[in-house]
Amino acid sequence: MAVTGQAIIALLPELIALGFAILVLLVGVFFERSVGLVAGLAAVGALAVFGSAAGLLAAGFSGEFFGGGYVVDNFALYFKLIVSGSAFFAVLAAARWSWGTGDAPEYLTLILSVVLGSILLVSMRDLFGIFLAIELATIPSYAMVAFDRRRRESAEGGMKYLITGVVASSVLLYGIVLIYGVSGSAELPAVAETFSGNLTPVALLGLVLLLSGFAFKVSAAPFHFWTPDAYQGAPTSAAAFLSVAPKAATFAVLLRILLEGMPEATPTWTAVMAFLAILTMFVGNLAALRQRNVRRMLAYSSVAHSGYILAAFAALQGQGVERAVEAVLIYSAAYAVMNMGAFLVIDLVGEDGKSFNGLFRSRPALAASMGVFMASLVGIPPFSGFWGKAWIIFSGAESGSVLVYVVVGALVVNSVLSVPYYFGIIRNMFFEKPAMDAVEPSGGGALKFSVYVLALLTALFFLLIVPISAIAGGSGLG
Amino acid sequence: MITTVTIFIPLLGAIVMLLLPEEERILRYAALGIAAVPLLLTLYVYFAFGSDLGAAALTQDFTWIQSLDMGYRVGLDGLGFGMFFLTALLTLIAVVASFDVRENLKQYFAILFVAEVGMLGVFASEDLILFYIFFEITLIPMYLLVGIWGDENRRQAAIKFFVYTFLGSTVMLAGFLAFGILAGTYAMESLTAGGGLGRTAQIAVAAPILFGLLVKVPAVPLHGWLLDVYVSSPISTNVVLSGILPKLGTYGLIKVAIPLLPEGVQPFLPYLAAFGAINIIYGAFVAFLQPDLKALVAYSSIGTLGFILLGAASGNAVGLNGAVLQQVTHGLYSALLFVLVGVIATRTGTRKIRELGGLAARMPWAGGLLALGAMAAMGLPGLAVFVSEFMSIMGGYDAFPVQGILAALGIVLSAMYLLYMLARVVFGPIERPAYETIEDAGPMEMAAAVPLAVLLVLFGVFPALLISVQRPGVEAVLSAIGGS
Repeated sequence: MAVTGQAIIALLPELIALGFAILVLLVGVFFERSVGLVAGLAAVGALAVFGSAAGLLAAGFSGEFFGGGYVVDNFALYFKLIVSGSAFFAVLAAARWSWGTGDAPEYLTLILSVVLGSILLVSMRDLFGIFLAIELATIPSYAMVAFDRRRRESAEGGMKYLITGVVASSVLLYGIVLIYGVSGSAELPAVAETFSGNLTPVALLGLVLLLSGFAFKVSAAPFHFWTPDAYQGAPTSAAAFLSVAPKAATFAVLLRILLEGMPEATPTWTAVMAFLAILTMFVGNLAALRQRNVRRMLAYSSVAHSGYILAAFAALQGQGVERAVEAVLIYSAAYAVMNMGAFLVIDLVGEDGKSFNGLFRSRPALAASMGVFMASLVGIPPFSGFWGKAWIIFSGAESGSVLVYVVVGALVVNSVLSVPYYFGIIRNMFFEKPAMDAVEPSGGGALKFSVYVLALLTALFFLLIVPISAIAGGSGLG
Repeated sequence: MITTVTIFIPLLGAIVMLLLPEEERILRYAALGIAAVPLLLTLYVYFAFGSDLGAAALTQDFTWIQSLDMGYRVGLDGLGFGMFFLTALLTLIAVVASFDVRENLKQYFAILFVAEVGMLGVFASEDLILFYIFFEITLIPMYLLVGIWGDENRRQAAIKFFVYTFLGSTVMLAGFLAFGILAGTYAMESLTAGGGLGRTAQIAVAAPILFGLLVKVPAVPLHGWLLDVYVSSPISTNVVLSGILPKLGTYGLIKVAIPLLPEGVQPFLPYLAAFGAINIIYGAFVAFLQPDLKALVAYSSIGTLGFILLGAASGNAVGLNGAVLQQVTHGLYSALLFVLVGVIATRTGTRKIRELGGLAARMPWAGGLLALGAMAAMGLPGLAVFVSEFMSIMGGYDAFPVQGILAALGIVLSAMYLLYMLARVVFGPIERPAYETIEDAGPMEMAAAVPLAVLLVLFGVFPALLISVQRPGVEAVLSAIGGS
């Protein structure tokens, strides 16, 4: 297991993330007052990770390292792009806010640590490695949620997130250990041999525990209850980032485990996924309908969107596998741009639904951007959310399974169901008069820049679909 | 290429509008200029390619996703050209008629232009998914136009509009997706005559598509959203809302449902014709009961949409030609009536028919044009609507005699309420002393109304101007359904 030059190149994104995480912390200690320098460094760090992953992707770099436990392929590199790209916007959005806390370098370092864990995660092909990478991404995120010491909800949300997160991790670890026990190895190819033919009860239990652990991590119902409190309490940039980047990475590695580690057990886990998908969509949307607080509404909305992605997992069968992998890739990016954008607007406007009243008259560009995010979250073309959902529907249709048709039907019903709460915001912004006592929350130029760029990406997302499906085609999965 | 440019020029225009300074004169002139471009381009297409719309200069075929055979495919044909032209024309008229919009003018025009992109796109789409995308692009702009600039009742109206039509179009999308997945392509050209689907599959696919399209029209039991929306909208939105938007539904019938799923639609055709007859008769009766002039025009407008349904269902050359033509003539007359309602309402301060009267004495132009529009609506010979309604009825009677006779009856009914309306509003004694001093339509208002009136007369006398262009398109539909 020698560390070759190739392995160093393969680890370039991770090394850059690690380096910048340390650098930001150190520079922060010595230059306590230079906002621009520290935040700029963190942003450059995120961009450098993005650039290195993009470079590897463009160069067609791929291979297995460290005895096959670490793999670089198009699929992994693509998710590294999503993670580091959203980290860039999170840093921009957090720059000014984090300065108010007095601990900006620490906060920015936490973001880069989550990046490190997440990009490591998508390359792991060993169950224990996967567990470690998940923890590496999750532990800093507990701190991010609880970071806003000026608000009690932040500590409360962080605490709930921590406790449920630890339980989830134990469940996940237990599942991994059981699988390791029956297959004698934690590497996915070896696991695949165990998960062929009839499953032993222990293997089945391991699978169920593993999937439950993942369901916790991606906030799938009925394991979603930490989500609203954590996201409502968390600083906006943390909620925006955590609902997008580590989640996409977790979905990615789950896809790898299922396709590489248990291809023979497809009927079992697609059934579980179909069940989880339907439940999660309905729970998320029905709960979101009742929310008045935009932050909480978006938290439940993120639960619903986990359900939509799980629908693609249910379609990983029959002729639908290739398209379903494509759908997960497309949806992850589509969701990243629209959901980050929607969360970030909260920092510019406020978290009460009423604070959006009359935004069209006072700040038309911001209102238009939020309108784009909301319409996209519903799934109205030509915005990004539409393409994500369309690909899930295509894959469902190609899967040829009646159960998946039901899941796709539920997805369509849920899209209609979600109209009232997303369009409630649009109605407030465009049709209502501005509230008299509306305070103007402050937001930096970098935050506004992020919102506008994300709105543009959401609107022009269709231009990215062909490149993404090319990456999916060469992903090696499916 | 010309088609693509025409579709997306308004998008550019929307961006330009947002960058302009907040000054009313500049904004109005700029909007006029922008709206004129697509119209001029369509006129150019008419004169340069009128006899050969399939020309390479007009079509574009770019396969976007190979594995799904989905792409950016646009082109003009006989079925769509008339509506393409009408969309460009009515958007310009809407800009001219925007005298009742005073707040946030630049956003108003920008949103109107985005809606225009969607509408133009629908009438040029040659791919099912593209058709759906353009179809949906109109949704949010119309929702905003009604919800921001409408009257007191606008929120309710906008939300109703959105919920109904979004539900309808989602169901339609489900049908489209199923169709494309079963046939392995979304290109309308390869889907002609069923794209290889059997009869049962065609019926299963056609049902949701028809439902979605009929909500958009709206066909009568599905019209719950209509009245509030039409009545609450500003006048210039009405021009587009009544002139173009229903045609997204009827055009979908003629361009997508009928030729692509001939066997699937076939069992529904008698009902479609019946929906047409019901629209005509229901619209006439309910229009008769409206105390509000605008509501009367709204019901008159959905009533005469019935002729399109009837003609489309007929499946013969006369009926289909009538239906395609009626799409255009209906847009001309209903836009004209809405503009004049706006003129009368701003002058007199009321839309109540009971409170109006004797306007002809003080407003000869507005009153006269209203009379012309009303006569067009009742299908008086010499005006364009007569030709298209007559053809629709002839074709419809041929295929479905009962529905055809009922539709013809509807013409009599519509004559009754329209003449009653004219007698009350335009003629008779001057109802109120205040009306002694009101002025006739001003130059802007005349500029909005007169072109529509001129075209109604022109196409009434020379219907061949449009029919000659649309004939190849209708023949293509006929060959797809195996009729004559």
